Amino acid sequence: MAKQPMLKFVTVARDMPEKRDADQRNKDFHEIYAEYADAKAREQAARCSQCGVPYCQSHCPLHNNIPDWLRLTAEGRLKEAYELSQATNTFPEICGRICPQDRLCEGNCVIELSGHGTVTIGSVEKYITDTAWEEGWVDVPAPREERPESVGIIGAGPGGLAAADVLRRAGVQVTIYDRYDRAGGLLTYGIPGFKLEKDVVMRRIGQLEEGGVTFEMNCDVGGDVSFADLRARHDAALIATGVYKSRDLGGPGSGAAGIVRAIDYLTASNRVSFGDRVPEFESGELNAGGKRVVVIGGGDTAMDCVRTAVRQGATSVKCLYRRDRANMPGSQREVQNAEEEGVEFVWLSAPKGFAGDPVSAVKVQKMRLGAPDATGRQSPEEIEGADYDEPADLVIKALGFEPEALPALWDEPALEVTRWGTVRAEFETGRTAMPGVYAVGDIVRGASLVVWAIRDGRDAASAVLEDMSKTQAVAAE
Amino acid sequence: MTKFDAEWARAEETRRKWLAENGMYSEAEEHSSCGVGLVVSIDGTPSRKVVEAGIEALKAVWHRGAVDADGKTGDGAGIHVQIPVPFFYDQIRRTGHEPRQDQLVAVGQVFLPRTQFGAQEACRTIVETEVLRMGHTIYGWRHVPVDVTCLGEKANATRPEIEQILISNAKDIDEETFERELYVIRRRIEKAVIASGIAGFYIASLSCRSIIYKGMMLAEQVAVFYPDLMDERFKSAFAIYHQRYSTNTFPQWWLAQPFRMLAHNGEINTLKGNINWMKSHEIRMASASFGDHADDIKPIIPGGSSDSAALDAVFEVLVRAGRSAPMAKTMLVPESWSKQAKELPQAWRDMYSYCNSVMEPWDGPAALAMTDGRWVCAGLDRNGLRPMRYVVTGDGLVIAGSEAGMVPIDEATVREKGALGPGQMLAVDMKKGLLFHDREIKDKLAAALPFGEWVGRINELDEKLAVVTEKPMFTGAELRRRQIAAGYTIEELEQILAPMAEDGKEAIASMGDDTPSAVLSKTYRPLSHFFRQNFSQVTNPPIDSLREYRVMSLKTRFGNLKNVLDEDSSQTEILVLDSPFVGNAQWDELLPQFNAELGVIDCTFAPGKGALQAGLERIRAEAEDAVRSGAGHLVLTDQGVSEERIGMPMILATSAVHGHLTRKGLRTFTSLNVRSAECIDPHYFAVLIGAGATVVNAYLAEDSIADRIGRGLIDGSLTEAVARYRNAIDQGLLKIMSKMGISVISSYRGGLNFEAVGLSRAMCAEYFPGLISRISGIGVSGIQTKLEQVHARGFASGQRDILPIGGFYKARKTGESHAWGAQNMHLLQTACNTASHELWKRYSAAMQANPPIHLRDLLAIKPIGEPVPIGEVESVTAIRKRFVTPGMSLGALSPEAHKTLNVAMNRIGAKSDSGEGGEDPAHFTPEPNGDNPSAKIKQVASGRFGVTAEYLNHCEELEIKVAQGAKPGEGGQLPGMKVTDLIARLRHSTKGVTLISPPPHHDIYSIEDLAQLIYDLKQINPACKVTVKLVAQSGVGTIAAGVAKAKADVILISGHNGGTGASPATSIKYAGLPWEMGLTEAHQVLSMNQLRERITLRTDGGLRTGRDIVMAAMMGAEEYGIGTAALIAMGCIMVRQCQSNTCPVGVCTQDESLRAKFTGNADKVVNLITFYAQEVREVLAGIGARSLDEVIGRADLLTQVSRGAAHLDDLDLNPMLITVDGTATLALDRNRERNEVPDTLDAEIVRDAARFLNDGEKMQLHYAVQNTHRTVGTRVSSHIVRNFGMRNALQPNHLTVKLTGSAGQSLGAFAAPGLKLEVSGDANDYVGKGLSGGTIVVRPSMMSPLEASENTIIGNTVLYGATDGYLFAAGRAGERFGVRNSGAKVVIEGCGSNGCEYMTGGVAVILGSIGANFGAGMTGGMAYLHDPEGTSAELMNLETLVICPVAEGHWMGQLEELIERHAAETGSLKAQTLLQHWDREKHNFVQVVPKEMLDKLQYPVAVERAAVPAE
Repeated sequence: MAKQPMLKFVTVARDMPEKRDADQRNKDFHEIYAEYADAKAREQAARCSQCGVPYCQSHCPLHNNIPDWLRLTAEGRLKEAYELSQATNTFPEICGRICPQDRLCEGNCVIELSGHGTVTIGSVEKYITDTAWEEGWVDVPAPREERPESVGIIGAGPGGLAAADVLRRAGVQVTIYDRYDRAGGLLTYGIPGFKLEKDVVMRRIGQLEEGGVTFEMNCDVGGDVSFADLRARHDAALIATGVYKSRDLGGPGSGAAGIVRAIDYLTASNRVSFGDRVPEFESGELNAGGKRVVVIGGGDTAMDCVRTAVRQGATSVKCLYRRDRANMPGSQREVQNAEEEGVEFVWLSAPKGFAGDPVSAVKVQKMRLGAPDATGRQSPEEIEGADYDEPADLVIKALGFEPEALPALWDEPALEVTRWGTVRAEFETGRTAMPGVYAVGDIVRGASLVVWAIRDGRDAASAVLEDMSKTQAVAAE
Repeated sequence: MTKFDAEWARAEETRRKWLAENGMYSEAEEHSSCGVGLVVSIDGTPSRKVVEAGIEALKAVWHRGAVDADGKTGDGAGIHVQIPVPFFYDQIRRTGHEPRQDQLVAVGQVFLPRTQFGAQEACRTIVETEVLRMGHTIYGWRHVPVDVTCLGEKANATRPEIEQILISNAKDIDEETFERELYVIRRRIEKAVIASGIAGFYIASLSCRSIIYKGMMLAEQVAVFYPDLMDERFKSAFAIYHQRYSTNTFPQWWLAQPFRMLAHNGEINTLKGNINWMKSHEIRMASASFGDHADDIKPIIPGGSSDSAALDAVFEVLVRAGRSAPMAKTMLVPESWSKQAKELPQAWRDMYSYCNSVMEPWDGPAALAMTDGRWVCAGLDRNGLRPMRYVVTGDGLVIAGSEAGMVPIDEATVREKGALGPGQMLAVDMKKGLLFHDREIKDKLAAALPFGEWVGRINELDEKLAVVTEKPMFTGAELRRRQIAAGYTIEELEQILAPMAEDGKEAIASMGDDTPSAVLSKTYRPLSHFFRQNFSQVTNPPIDSLREYRVMSLKTRFGNLKNVLDEDSSQTEILVLDSPFVGNAQWDELLPQFNAELGVIDCTFAPGKGALQAGLERIRAEAEDAVRSGAGHLVLTDQGVSEERIGMPMILATSAVHGHLTRKGLRTFTSLNVRSAECIDPHYFAVLIGAGATVVNAYLAEDSIADRIGRGLIDGSLTEAVARYRNAIDQGLLKIMSKMGISVISSYRGGLNFEAVGLSRAMCAEYFPGLISRISGIGVSGIQTKLEQVHARGFASGQRDILPIGGFYKARKTGESHAWGAQNMHLLQTACNTASHELWKRYSAAMQANPPIHLRDLLAIKPIGEPVPIGEVESVTAIRKRFVTPGMSLGALSPEAHKTLNVAMNRIGAKSDSGEGGEDPAHFTPEPNGDNPSAKIKQVASGRFGVTAEYLNHCEELEIKVAQGAKPGEGGQLPGMKVTDLIARLRHSTKGVTLISPPPHHDIYSIEDLAQLIYDLKQINPACKVTVKLVAQSGVGTIAAGVAKAKADVILISGHNGGTGASPATSIKYAGLPWEMGLTEAHQVLSMNQLRERITLRTDGGLRTGRDIVMAAMMGAEEYGIGTAALIAMGCIMVRQCQSNTCPVGVCTQDESLRAKFTGNADKVVNLITFYAQEVREVLAGIGARSLDEVIGRADLLTQVSRGAAHLDDLDLNPMLITVDGTATLALDRNRERNEVPDTLDAEIVRDAARFLNDGEKMQLHYAVQNTHRTVGTRVSSHIVRNFGMRNALQPNHLTVKLTGSAGQSLGAFAAPGLKLEVSGDANDYVGKGLSGGTIVVRPSMMSPLEASENTIIGNTVLYGATDGYLFAAGRAGERFGVRNSGAKVVIEGCGSNGCEYMTGGVAVILGSIGANFGAGMTGGMAYLHDPEGTSAELMNLETLVICPVAEGHWMGQLEELIERHAAETGSLKAQTLLQHWDREKHNFVQVVPKEMLDKLQYPVAVERAAVPAE
């Protein structure tokens, strides 16, 4: 009677949800993958080998119980699958869309490693939670009992929201402060809609609000409210600001017009999608339409930029990266998507400088990879004499982000930071040296993945709760 | 006496005691087994002839005993005979008295402390006082003459003073009363001596009828030591004799057999339960027979009794209370009756039903020779696991014993030759001069009392409970809270409970257990996790609960057991259920059926300091009060769990109450009915029942099933699902019981047949009396803390109502720790792929950084001295030779993986093990590149797949796999889908047909059988060493001592962590011990017994780093098995789906496309072993040692360290770390010669057959043979294989060896093509074992008047594992004929039970009647039965078979041809008659065909299409 629904990788091949054709999808900002049909999701989930040591879970920052919800999906027990998935992940449908699964769960899937093609974990995860939304299974994070303690969270990005969710469910009063007008952080303004449609983020924020989380938007900590005041208002403060300072590029001509930062570029594009008026877009400063675009960098932000540029109607889009394809930090899947959409990758190329103002070309230095160092990583070296000019009307710098100088910004010298400027916090609890102050996400780790921010947010929230109950116990004695 | 003297004996005793208290050794674990038999004159006339026959017989069973390290001290032998009155009259006269011939004379055979004269005198005074007190007179004492020259040094050192006291029946009471008084006198004496604190006193016998001469001499020396026995006046009408084979090498004279009433070959597996229940029974056994003396006979079982001695003690009480010996046997060791294939006569069933209601069977292998003075009988246990052959001679003697041919008889006048079957008896009433066969004696017994009337009052409840509709008790949020508070996980519900409710079966899993012992874990673990199931190995066999279910029973009786000694109907007012499993609604139905008051005891407590302890005291008091005020049934329940109240672990509660009631003598007045929330799996049920529960209701598990049904996940109703769940639990319980050889649950109940790892000794002593807990750990307060935590998870406010995910079976981040994590495996693989020792070091460091998982994780290594330069440490090459890849069969592994291991290990001079399942003969020649793909160790496992003479000759070492770490005590199964062409060829079976490995080796039911198999293997391969693979458990040390005495060369102690290709999940988790415990015990006990130097110790089961290796060395291991790590090096990533044939990396699959994914190679494995060796060198250098030899056995170099957790600091590992005195200078040498075994007749045959062996000339040789000539034809076959090959061109009778007489065991074992053995006479057990192409003919002596087809001519377990060849035997075979035959063709004229079990090939023609359970698990081959009455079908186990008339054509031709050949070879009258009337007789044959073969046969059989199951 008990059917063995699993281990079908032996007979069933890997099959992603249908991807819209490149020449259709590059015209809009909607997501490129279709939804799995129920039968397909079950079939693909059933390919899981139900390993004794789930490498997928080991390589998932959230340690999602992936084999378990895959099995439940294959058995048609979607609601249970959802509950299990939601139990370890605040925003599974978001992770399902934007996690670089090929470097995390799917990339380490045992049947992928042994050459059978991975289980499509991300797509199933997305399917499960999207279905849960449709079916109304996703509940508001409202507590059974209210607690008197309150926590102030700085930053409404994934880390802050994840912490807010956990704390709110435990009954803690939560206020989130954010300097933007919309919550969500990079989920809202950083990541383009073709990867993550905005209503997906907004409905989560709506639920948090409904669950009693207070959002103080357009509120700049250090400006509108001092960090010290904020601490005084709450029993605990949680720093989840993210890292917003863009790494810059020097070289001759780097100050020219037409050379923009990725964050500005992507934010503008996302605001336009929300229907906001964005003068820099209208002026063309942050609009790639009709331009030759060169994006510099090899990370996921660069991928977002090139694909956004395609959708804005750029005449050509090139991506410059100083290492080769195998050594780039961005997701291979995204590279492939970008290539399909018409982006040209120029590997082993570094910008030496720029011509013109407004910019007309990037001076490109060709590189080669040197001998591997002790860790096996190969550093790029310049090839003498191999340089040329790459014509460009818009240059987008996507070289990564660094933390802002929070102690100075907030006039809080006691806040300890590392030599990279990140906040010094305890691993797995987010506790800083300041009592009652916690920090999570990119501001601790440096620029990293959304999924890590969620993990940090959840962990820190647990630590906050633990510390609160200790305080309570002491108070009671 | 230079080396040993009395001082030695005392010192030795002290040493043993010390080791038992401080080390891993336990005296309670000693085992013994043996040869046994009797000679009796049917008409009861005493004669010299009988005594001489008994002495002769003892000389012919020497090989069933063992000799100590000193070469002369036997394990014990003795003889029980009638008192030769004239002889003793003469002795009395010598004391100066004139015997009063009108009064009965009684003789007491007394052992006195030899060297302490004061104590001697005190004993004599006690004896005399008690005799006089009873009113009898004493003639005097007689000093028994002995000849000590025949004794070994140890035996002499411990020899008692042996005297006889001669007593006259002064009160002139009748014989029966006199005997009873003598019994009371003896018990009084025994108690008085114990009270006076004198050791070394023992009364071998005290009787007016018979006397026992026994001691620690070799069997053949009994009459030498006791010259009395040679006296012409010494006459008797019976003689019961016994030769002991003991694991105990400390000579204990009193443990020699026979005992006062019986001699026993075998082992009582249920001993612990039986002894516990006797404590309750004996209180009420104050029968009229003992009256005022009732208190004198208690305790009925003296402390320190062996299983046989205990059985004897109870047997004796029953006899003294007026039962006859046959009735006492029937009560104590009944045959299986409730599920017999052919229903037993109603009168018998009534009798057994009565017995079942008063006494728990003493279950286990047993061949018994018994007497009560009037009756002399032989009997077997319900499984028939020991041989008992008998002859009735022309001159009126019955001779029965373990072997045929022990006493020479006159073949020309012999009247009958037979073998007892399971549960059968043979009885002689000497008074009436009558011989009763099994049916006759049972008819007589059953008719003697109105059993039918009595049992009419048994209330069978099953029908009433079958009609109820199940319903849950708790649902929704309440259910969820309770689940969480009871420690449930999603994993347990989904992977353990759901399969049981859906399929009625336990879930199957694979690979080994790499999680921490419960006591080491940080997570909450139910109390059941601390209990490890006991299992059988070597000294007794496990049972196959699937294919031999008819002998097993879960029949559960309730309530008031009254007095065992009463014979009336009051005992049978009882309730009976078919299983101890009770569903929720059944429970509600059950309570009103109870025939006495009910006491309900709430097993919950409110948290607080000491609350659990107080709670336990409370429930004990409540239980006692309830029973004292008349409650005949108690309910223990934890359903009162709430926010304020925590449930006690019901195992603890049940055992606390059961133990308390037993101690107070109240247990048999009540039933204990348990409701437990925590209970889900069969293991938990088993622990509850082992702790004393009568029935169990797993209400929360049932509610969880109901919840699942509510979510639409299980089809059908809750009632149906619970029925399936019950079935799974029943099967699981049977499996757990059968694992240790117990067939009936009533004997299992309350026996605590477990051992604990990490429960505090104090708690065990108080609440689990008798439970072994070598490593003391968590106690009541620790348990309470854990309970409070898990309870809070469910009931404290603010908790989310999501069940924990689990992670106990398969790794999950939030669950239990697993040694093998993704990171560790990745490091190991990368290290092996890139030969990077740096990465290996990171791997090793990561492994050591794991939270504590193994006991050794709490140990640190102490240095010997200053570190030495690593260059001075022995080389990698030298160390690598000590490594072994343990037995992993081709069948589990893919051929690629299997071969890779062989090649790799051969390259570095180490050894790989073929595993079960044979090896491709192509491997016996080197590869083109020079690699040797043949495994150096060939495994001999219970399935004997591919174990041919050729296979056995292509190796350096033969390993007998007695048990497997992952599932000790269980068999295995290779599903048809994994049986490819290659595997089918190697295993001599058919592609696509399922292959079954039985739980036991059917030629190892006890220790002397193992010695026989070792002997066989050393015959077939003249050079190889023999390894015995054991699994760590308490008592493995004593077993190892026995194995060493059986002449094994290597003993492998496997840890429970060992892997498996498929096994029930709970078996992987709950059986076997860590190797650390088994290894240290084996090393200590072998050392203590001076046997350590004879043996090479090897260990395996989770050795993961070089540090582990050094620790294993310090605990005594010289060689090390690397299984899982080697698989991981070849690409395994612990997917744990081996059982499903979908291994994604091609390591453990037979699927072609998956095998293509295999990326392993020999280099990676070589790298792996090199890393181990290199790390060993580094560790050695660090502690100042230059070689492994310097640290082997140096457990003193290990020290327990704190891992920073209180629960770990409570653990006491010191018993593992002690050193046995005087073992500092052990001379261990892995390269010494093998332990040689004595030659057999083959030495002569090989000499005489020189021209055949050298030049291939055809020869015929002729010899007389007797039963001490064992394994005839086997060494010759080795020469044939080595000279001519196994696929040779010799004629079938190229070398014909004619033998006259009774051939010993293993006649023609592994006989090769070209050899023909012809016996004129008969043969013993294991004829044609592993037959590999030779021909064996056994026919009666020419002058025998017997009708061949009615008499037994060959023994048990004939053709076990035969692969090819022919056997023709003109007569009946014993039990388990043709088991696991995969190719031999055979004609016999009848067989006992379990014929053709697990057969996978070959042809069996049986011209006479068969026993029960024929063809169980038979999946291949063909059988033809001559069945003119049409009665065979009901005796068959048709689960895998179909039967039909013999199809004309090919099959009929095959049958006729074999019968013709049988007639020609043996001259069988039966065959000739059949052939004469062939046209008529051919329709009287039944063809037996395995179902799985139907679509694979080349010729059609006469099976109707409909009979073929639709697949």
